[in-house]
Amino acid sequence: MAEEQGPFSSKEGDGLKLCELGQEVVLPAGTRIVTQGEAPEFFYVIQSGKVKIFRETADGIRTNLTELGAGAYFGEVALVTGQLRTASVETVMESRLIKVSKGEFDHLMDNNPQLARHIIQQLSQWLITGDRRLETETVHQVKFRQISWFDYVLMIGLSIALALVFNIYNDNRIPLIQGWGEKGVIPEISLDQALEMYQKNTAIFVDARKSAFYSQRHIKGAQNLPLILFDLMYPMFQFSLTQDEGAKDKALIVYGGSFSRRFDVEMARMLKHKGNARVMVLKDYGGWPRVLPVEEKMGTEAASLHLGLAGLLEWLPVSIFLLILIPPIRRSPYLSVVARLLLGAIFISFALSKILRPAVFALNTVDYGMMPSWGVNLWALVLPWAELLVGLFLVLGVRTRAAATLIGAMNIIFIVGLVYAIHQHLPINCGCVGEVGEPVNWWKVLKNTGMLVMCVQIFLFDRFLVLDRGGFILRDRTI
Amino acid sequence: MKKDYLKLAAVLGLVMIGLLLGGCGESRSPFAGTYRSLEPFAGKNHAELDLKENGKGSWMLAGKTVMEFTWVVNDGKPWFYLRNGGILIATPTDSGNNLSVDMTGDWHPGCPPGSCVVFKRVPEGG
Repeated sequence: MAEEQGPFSSKEGDGLKLCELGQEVVLPAGTRIVTQGEAPEFFYVIQSGKVKIFRETADGIRTNLTELGAGAYFGEVALVTGQLRTASVETVMESRLIKVSKGEFDHLMDNNPQLARHIIQQLSQWLITGDRRLETETVHQVKFRQISWFDYVLMIGLSIALALVFNIYNDNRIPLIQGWGEKGVIPEISLDQALEMYQKNTAIFVDARKSAFYSQRHIKGAQNLPLILFDLMYPMFQFSLTQDEGAKDKALIVYGGSFSRRFDVEMARMLKHKGNARVMVLKDYGGWPRVLPVEEKMGTEAASLHLGLAGLLEWLPVSIFLLILIPPIRRSPYLSVVARLLLGAIFISFALSKILRPAVFALNTVDYGMMPSWGVNLWALVLPWAELLVGLFLVLGVRTRAAATLIGAMNIIFIVGLVYAIHQHLPINCGCVGEVGEPVNWWKVLKNTGMLVMCVQIFLFDRFLVLDRGGFILRDRTI
Repeated sequence: MKKDYLKLAAVLGLVMIGLLLGGCGESRSPFAGTYRSLEPFAGKNHAELDLKENGKGSWMLAGKTVMEFTWVVNDGKPWFYLRNGGILIATPTDSGNNLSVDMTGDWHPGCPPGSCVVFKRVPEGG
């Protein structure tokens, strides 16, 4: 291959006239002249028109090398080296070429030292250019593989900022930390003291958890006053107290069972606010089943609500998970693109309802019993925005490796939470796709595992349609 | 690079529109109105449910509002979103004239006996 105005721009060589060699051919646009990997037979000189030279891998990745116009030549590399064709050539427009056979080419080289020297110079030039291209590509790949802390700071920082701003203007806003700045400390009571009061019947025990928790297990004789229905149920609770002689002399001991202390402490505050003077909470929030007499009922499996499109979407990671088990597909960058789009769509769709109604998601978080009180609302506010933003980054192909690690980290947290909930037989809603009617089970764990595997695949093999530190990469990339 | 930022801004704009549209849900009209409890709070101690078409709702006891909430219609059922994060799901019966409200705060295919409050629509002006 050579630049335009090469030694064939005039039709005369020093020893031989080119017009005396070869045969003239006219080819329409899009004609494949040379195919990579075939045995070389001809050398070509372009008289008019334009051709493009490219390489193509077995899985269809094309690298455009250059385009040549009138006066340039190609096909000499394989003839000089005696190897198979190293690239393919196609006409870009109708082109007129001189086609020189291998025998004629050898004869031309033997009798035209100027041409031979020119071809050697050209080949040397390609070696240098090739080294530079290799370096550029290596630098690009290294940059592509780099993950900067900035990527994480950008995604997490943006999520926090958007979450805080949106919460200000959201009709369903929640406080950043539940109970922060509330006046009046609720006294705590130890389990031994509570047992003593239970035995002496000097206290009324109030279970502040959701009714599903209460049905599963509660302190014998305790009344269920779910925090979420406090305003509705309190009049009835008050009525029941009036029916109990001596109730006015009894203390109200509120208990929950969650590490987050959302139900018991907040319920105690509300009872106090309603004018109940002697309200206490159990100090050891989770210890009452060991010490106090309980009533238990075997839990029935929670019913699941039809989740529509989101429910179907959630199954696709399992299919991808199965695809990844097939070795040739495992490494495919096309699979990475599919995985990115799918994960992105899943996380964006899951995030929307949580963003609009953070209080619902906060209660779902409390149900898992793994989040401290101060973290529940912050988690409920920021996580959905992180899901949304990271999902968008994956769909748009921006900083996909960092995005994949963040989604992978989220999936690990989800899997740990799900396994814990299953192990503890918690009668809770998953809070993954829908707001209610989504039981926690092993299928959920499998789906999340599928998503985690997809993240790993993206991290390792994603390289198409991405905007990374080295620039935008398309499938058909010109270097 | 500027184009990339523009692209990102356009997508964020679409997301915000999605968020706004996502808040709309199905039409509330078929269920908007005032309801009065039939059981277990009947007669003098009845409860009242007022579902406004703008998505606001209130629950009244003895003429006093005890709880305000927002509501949407999902899959033909009104969902009441309480301020503290609780969700009550109502199942319409009798062509939408009755609403059975599941008081467990969870999802059940029907309204569970013992945790169900049945409301009947009050005719306009009635």
